[in-house]
Amino acid sequence: MGVKTHVVSLGDYRRKTLGGAQKLPPDYFSIGEKSPETLALRKKVSDGCENIIWEFFEGGGQVVIYDANNGLRKNRQALAEKFDKLGIHVIMLESICDNKEIIETNIRNVKISSPDYRGWDQDQAVEDYYGRIRLREQAYETIEETEWPYIRIFNVGEKIMVNKIRGYLQSRVVFFLMNIHNRFRMIYFARSGQSLIEHSYKADSDLSPAGWEYSERLKESVLERRAKSLEQRGYDPKERRLVIWTSTRRRAHHTAWPFLTSAGESSPRVKVIEKPQMCEINPGVWDGLTPDQARKFYPEEWARFVKDPYAFRAPRAESYHDLSVRLEPILIELEREKEDLLIIGHSSVIRCLLAYLIGLPASEIPAIEVARGDLLEVVPTSYGVHSQAFHFWDGPGRRVDAADGEVELGHLSNRDENNFYENYAEDTKGKKITPSDLATHRNGVEQTVVAET
Amino acid sequence: MEDHIRTHFPPPTKDITGALGVIEDMTEGTFVSDITGRTDRENLPVIFGAGGPLLKQFDQSAASSRKGSQAPTPPRSVVGIGNKVAKPDYSEAKIVLAMVGLPARGKSYLSNKLTRYLKWLEYDVQVFNVGQLRRSRARQKALQSGIREDHTSVYFSHNNVEATRAREKLSEDSLEMLINWLKKGGNVGIHDATNSTRSRRASIEERVKQEKGIQVIFLESVCNDPAVIAANIALKVSSGDPDYKDLPKEVAERDFIRRIKEYEAVYETITEPHLSYLRITDVGNEVTLSRINGYLQSRIAFYLMNLHVKPRNIFMSRHGESQFNVEGKIGGDALLSPRGMEYARALPDLIRKHVGDAPLTVWTSTLQRTIQTAQDLPYPKLTWKSLDELDAGVCDGMTYEEIELAYPEDFANRDEDKFNYRYRGGESYRDVVVRLEPVIMELERQENILIVGHQAILRCLYAYFHDLSQVDLPYIKIPLHTVIKLTPKAYGCDEERYTLPIGAVDTHRPKPKAPQVPLPHAHSGREYYAKDV
Repeated sequence: MGVKTHVVSLGDYRRKTLGGAQKLPPDYFSIGEKSPETLALRKKVSDGCENIIWEFFEGGGQVVIYDANNGLRKNRQALAEKFDKLGIHVIMLESICDNKEIIETNIRNVKISSPDYRGWDQDQAVEDYYGRIRLREQAYETIEETEWPYIRIFNVGEKIMVNKIRGYLQSRVVFFLMNIHNRFRMIYFARSGQSLIEHSYKADSDLSPAGWEYSERLKESVLERRAKSLEQRGYDPKERRLVIWTSTRRRAHHTAWPFLTSAGESSPRVKVIEKPQMCEINPGVWDGLTPDQARKFYPEEWARFVKDPYAFRAPRAESYHDLSVRLEPILIELEREKEDLLIIGHSSVIRCLLAYLIGLPASEIPAIEVARGDLLEVVPTSYGVHSQAFHFWDGPGRRVDAADGEVELGHLSNRDENNFYENYAEDTKGKKITPSDLATHRNGVEQTVVAET
Repeated sequence: MEDHIRTHFPPPTKDITGALGVIEDMTEGTFVSDITGRTDRENLPVIFGAGGPLLKQFDQSAASSRKGSQAPTPPRSVVGIGNKVAKPDYSEAKIVLAMVGLPARGKSYLSNKLTRYLKWLEYDVQVFNVGQLRRSRARQKALQSGIREDHTSVYFSHNNVEATRAREKLSEDSLEMLINWLKKGGNVGIHDATNSTRSRRASIEERVKQEKGIQVIFLESVCNDPAVIAANIALKVSSGDPDYKDLPKEVAERDFIRRIKEYEAVYETITEPHLSYLRITDVGNEVTLSRINGYLQSRIAFYLMNLHVKPRNIFMSRHGESQFNVEGKIGGDALLSPRGMEYARALPDLIRKHVGDAPLTVWTSTLQRTIQTAQDLPYPKLTWKSLDELDAGVCDGMTYEEIELAYPEDFANRDEDKFNYRYRGGESYRDVVVRLEPVIMELERQENILIVGHQAILRCLYAYFHDLSQVDLPYIKIPLHTVIKLTPKAYGCDEERYTLPIGAVDTHRPKPKAPQVPLPHAHSGREYYAKDV
C-alpha cells in the first residue's frame, strides 16, 4: 500500500548477533535470577532492536512492527513511554491462543523450522519450544492497562478487542488483522485476452477472435492445473468452489465467460464477480497514443514518467500509487477470501497485487513483467507465498519480443498492440522483473517457473 | 500457435478484415498525419472519443468480428457510448443484526447510521424496531377498542409478568417479520430491541439457526459516560416520543429513568463465547469483536469502529464555474472561468464566517478546477484521487447536445436508468459510489471537513448523509457557487445552504419526460411508528 514498513524481530536479531539456541547460555529463556552475563546479552539484544527501530523512523519510515514477546507489563510500559516521548505512536498487539491444536500446528509448521532448531530432531525441538513457552507463561501478564491503544487477538482472529485505536493507519491495521486467516487456498492470476483495440482505455473494446480462443484455453488450463495442485495436496477439487474476480472492463470479464457457459459439465462450482476497482491503470491524456506520440506531445511528462514510473501521474491519468490505493479494498478482500481464487486482470493490476503478495517494494511494481499466456499460481503459506508460473498460450496477443528479447519501442509504435502505459514493464528496455527474478527478492520463498506447452 | 513471432493480430479471415482495416487507419492513417504538425496540446484529439468518427466506424466494421466465442450465448458486444449495468449479486448476504443495550445507549443511533451506510452500498436493509411495533399496535388497539395500554415504566418492569410476556411476544413477532423479509430478498435485518438477557439472546440464536443461510450477529452498545446518557434521555423525552406525549417533561424524564432502571436490574452484558458479536463502548472508544466472519460482517464491524459522536460540520462545495461549464462540456480538466475565479476568491470569507476558529481540513480532487477553487483557503489541504469527477469515458469533453446528436438512442438510455448507466470506457454512478466508500469511511472518522468537489461526487456523498435512494441520487441539485453545510445529528443531518451572489451556469439536467418529483424531504427526526404493521 506504499506505507514504509519495517519488521524488527527480536528473535531474528538475537540469532544474528548471538547465534542459534545451542549457543545461548542455559538461563537465557528462564525466568527469575539470571547471571549478569545473560542479562547483559538480553539487554544488548533489546537495545539493538530499539536502535534499529529509531533509525528506521529517522530515515522516513512510517510503521515498525516490533516482533518480540513483550509479556511483562512493566516492559510494555517502559517501551511505550520511551517511544511516546520520541513522538511515535505505539499500539500493542497481543495475540492470545488457548486452542491447543492451533498452538501445536504453529510450533510444528513455523517454529521448529526456525534457524534456532536447525539440525535438531523434530520432536525434541517441539519439546524444547514447549519448555520455552511454559517458562514464559508463568510470568506472562496479559494487557489490562488501558492507557495505551491495544489490539488483542484471540485464536488467530476468532475474537478481537480493540482499545483507543485512532487515526487512519491504525484503524487500517485493525481492519487488516480482522481479515487475515490461515485456511489453505490457491490464488491464480492470468491476464485478460487480447482485445480488438489494445491500446485504448476508452474504447473498452471486445475480445478479438484470438482473445476468445485465449479465454477457452485459459479455462482449460486453470481447471487442469488447479485439479492437479489440489490433488497433490490431498484436496478434492470437486468439493471446493472457484471464485473468479475480473474488472468491469469487457476484455476482462469476457475472458471469464467460458467458465460460466460450461458450468455443469465437469467444471467446479464457479462464481464470477466484476469489481470496478480492478480496472487497469488509467492512462489519462496518453490514451491511445503510441510511446512516440506521447514523448512528442508531452516531453516533460514523459521524462518524469520514465524517471519514476511508480509515483508519476500523467495529466488525468493514474500513477501506480493511485492504482495501489484504489486496489487497497481488493487486497483486504483477497486476504479474506477463503475459496480458491482466479484473478483475470490487467497487467498493471496484477503487478500491484503480486507485489503485495510477494512483498516487493512499491517502487518496483511498474517493472514486474506479467506476460499474457502465463498462469501464475500463488499459494499463501505462513512465512510468505509459494508461487509458480505456467505457460499455456503462445498465440497473438502475447508480448512480442525482438530477437534479443527486448522490445523496440519505435519499431512497434505503429501497430503497438500494447498500451505502453499499462504495459510499461513489457515496453521498456529499462529494468524489468520477470517471474523468475522474483525469487531473488525474497529469501525463503520458493519460486519456480515451469514451462508447459 | 507457430506464428507468434511477429503477429499482432490473427491472420485476417474474411469476417474480420473490416475491423483490421479500421484499426490500421486509426493508428497510421489520417490521425497521425493530422496531429504531427501540431504543438497545441489543448487541441490534441481524443482518439477514441465519441466526438470523432473513429469510434462509430470501428463499431460498425467490427460488428461481425465477434463470433470468436464458442459459447452458445456470447456476451453482448460493445457499441456506442455505454450501457446499463446490472447490480452486483448480493443474494448470498443474509444477516440478522440483533442490537443489545440499555435504553438511551445509542442503539438506534448505531442502527440508523449502519442502515444508511449499507443502503448507500445498495444492500437491502431494514430496521425492525420493537418499540415502534409496540406503539403502532397500541395505537391500533386504542383506535379499534378504545382501550389505552399503560406504557409507563410499570409496563417495563421485570416483575410485571403479563407485560413481560407481551413484550417478549412483540420481540418474537418482530423477529418473525424480519426473517420473512430476509427470505423475500432482504440482506440485513436489524432487530432493534434491548435483547438484554442471555435467555433472550439464546432464543434469537435458536430461532435463526433454523433458517439456512441466515446468520445472526449481536451488536452491543455500551455507554459509560453519564453526560451522554443524560443527553440521550433529554432527547428522548423532548423530541415528541408518543409514549410521553401528554406528560410534563419532568414526569416523562422520571418515568424514562425508571424504565432504564427496570432494564438495568436484569441486564447481562454479552459474555457468551460462542456468539458472534460486536461490542462498542462509548461509540468507538473500545471495540470488541468476537467470531466476526464473512465479508459483510467485517465491513459492518469496520464501519462501526470508525464512528464518533463529536459535534462537527461537513461542508461541501462544487468547484467554481469552469471553462467547460460555460461551454456546456462534461468532464475534462479545464481551468476556472472568470466568474469561477471570483467564487474562489470569495470562498475563504464565507467559510471563515461559518467555521470560526475551529480547525478545518479541505479536501479537493486532483483536477485543476477544485485545486484552483481551494487555493486561497487558509486551511490544511488534502488531494484525493478518489474525489475526481465521474469519468465520462468516450464522452469526456463533449456537450450533451453533441452526445445526443451522435448517439441519440444511447443518450436516451442513460436517462432511463442514470444510476446504472456506465459510459463506455468510463464510470457509472454505482462505480463512483464504490470508489467513494473509503472516502466515506475517512469522513466518518474526521471532524470539520470542507470538500471541494464535483457534481456527481457530491451527489453521491450527499445521498449518503441524507439517506436518498439510488433512483433519486443522480438528480440531486448541487448548484455551482453554493456551500452546503451538513451537521450530523442523532437520526440524520441538518442542512443549510449558502449561495454566493456570483452568477454561474446551471449544470443540472432534470430527468426528461418525467414530471419533476420533489426529492424526499431530508429530516433528522426520529420515527416512532413502524412503517407497516
